[in-house]
Amino acid sequence: MIEFNNVCLQLGDFHLHDVCLKVGKGEYYFILGPSGAGKTVILEAIAGLHASDSGTVRIRGKDAGAMSPEKRNVALVYQDYSLFPHMTVYDNIAFGLRMKKLPPGEIARRVHELLASFGIEGLKDRHPLTMSGGEQQRVAIARALAVEPDILLLDEPLAALDPITKETFIGELRDLHRKHGLTIVQVTHSRGEALQLATRVGVIIEGSLVAEGETATVFARPVTKQVAQFVGVDNILDGVVVRNHDGIADIDVNGEEIKAQSDHDPGDSVTVCLRAENVGLSRADTGGEMKNVLKGVVTDLNPKGPVVRVGLDCGFPLAAMVFQKTIDELKLCVGDTVFAIFDAWTVHLAEPEGVC
Amino acid sequence: MRRTRPLPDRCLISFALIGSLIVGLTVLALLNMTVRELADIPHVIRVATETRVIDSIVTTMGAGALAVVILIFIGTPLAYILARTNFAGKGVVESLVDLPVMLPHTVAGILVYILFMQRGLIGAPLDAVGFIFEDAFPGIVIAMLFVSSPYYINSVREGIEKVPIHLENVARTLGASRFHAVLRIVLPLSSRHIMNGSILAWGRAIGEFAAIIMIAYYPMVISTLIYYRFTTGGLKESSTVAFVMILACFVAFIMLRLISRALGRYDDRV
Repeated sequence: MIEFNNVCLQLGDFHLHDVCLKVGKGEYYFILGPSGAGKTVILEAIAGLHASDSGTVRIRGKDAGAMSPEKRNVALVYQDYSLFPHMTVYDNIAFGLRMKKLPPGEIARRVHELLASFGIEGLKDRHPLTMSGGEQQRVAIARALAVEPDILLLDEPLAALDPITKETFIGELRDLHRKHGLTIVQVTHSRGEALQLATRVGVIIEGSLVAEGETATVFARPVTKQVAQFVGVDNILDGVVVRNHDGIADIDVNGEEIKAQSDHDPGDSVTVCLRAENVGLSRADTGGEMKNVLKGVVTDLNPKGPVVRVGLDCGFPLAAMVFQKTIDELKLCVGDTVFAIFDAWTVHLAEPEGVC
Repeated sequence: MRRTRPLPDRCLISFALIGSLIVGLTVLALLNMTVRELADIPHVIRVATETRVIDSIVTTMGAGALAVVILIFIGTPLAYILARTNFAGKGVVESLVDLPVMLPHTVAGILVYILFMQRGLIGAPLDAVGFIFEDAFPGIVIAMLFVSSPYYINSVREGIEKVPIHLENVARTLGASRFHAVLRIVLPLSSRHIMNGSILAWGRAIGEFAAIIMIAYYPMVISTLIYYRFTTGGLKESSTVAFVMILACFVAFIMLRLISRALGRYDDRV
């Protein structure tokens, strides 16, 4: 549906480097990245608002290089909603239909249909600047859908909403995607949103696409240290492989050894990625063949609802996420010595530097 | 609850006092003239109803208005280009746009004259088809257009820059060509700047003297008439014409400001 082949683009001081990505028909694709990474620029390039300096952008299989934005049938909703302040809600939604020179009767029918389906009939004659963020958001999406695009681009649509409205909206976006069979590309810096909605994600950092794939894979098995940091892996440790027997590598991390399933050869520098929820705690060394057991001192107990994030010093900092019940049972306090236990298969090794 | 007024501090008071000097000067000049003129009201009425004076005022304001209308058509596209694009030599174009502000009016007059006189680069071919600038109404309009263009272009440019580019982008993804996006989104949202630019340009145009007399001494614009009366009839003759012009301008500007206040309410909020 959307294809970027080695797209480079310069906008003032900002560069997009050699971006390759593919969004299939009907996908809910997320572009994830920190602020200022160039996510919006990618959306605008899909919409045809920026021409690439080199490389090609293809939409629906056709080279879109010479296709102007109004001919692409790609709708874009910005983070600030960008409703036309001098028009009423009705006129905002009717704008695209009027541009298509539809008969007035047809325009009125379609606008009323959209007003009804988004539950905003009451706002029909209001001006955008008198409305709340959530209301503006609904109008902006209704306006975008009025022209019946098959590709919808959303630029941080949830960033400016309060937490309750946000939850409602995530549900609505999911329905929208399913009901209209849309291909949606959404930009965000929030990992939570991506985990809830995305079928596939691309991670962009400093103008380069550093990871792309199924949401679960990108999050669970980050390709590089940079990606691991961005997707929020709790324990990211640099180490060197010291030996490898039959796919189990022993990695030296600051003098301690960690076992991981890997094909890396001895001498390879790797980044150990380990989610805190995969680390268990015990007062006794209950290790096994495929288990890692590290002795550490509790440095920090940080309750997060029903779970507690435990900071440990094992010669390097290590975080574990355990239930409050476990803390109570172990009678754990700051300063106690404890064993951190995790399976070798939960350890993921990423490339320490560079892009994929 | 009653709003508490902030206590004026010494700095504010001294700024206000210093600032009042300039306002005071204008008020004093106007009062001085008004008191003198009102001492002989029949004379003021006689001058105000004189055909020559009325013709001059109509010519001046009409030529200024026509210059502004032309500016709206040719200056607005330029303002858009300057607001929305970057290109090599943009600085040069910007300087050229601003040039008439810097030039002494007589220099502007000579520039216009040698281009539009009957033997001029543009004047000659147009003269051949019967379109004359020298000592004619079009000559006044062209001189006014030249000197007032920067005021219009810069004001409209500022207005367009204030319209978020996102609005234009969205309009385009909704099927509007760039032209339609400008027409339906950018210009309505810059309407107050367009109005203010037009008022500034019009004011600048009707105030012009030196550049106009170089190319068109006749028909007399109000400045030419006042200068003529000053050199031939003396101070009393010329100052009454000036007083009538001040009254006419005052009424016109108040009306325009009232209209512009109603326009572009969204300018402040976009």
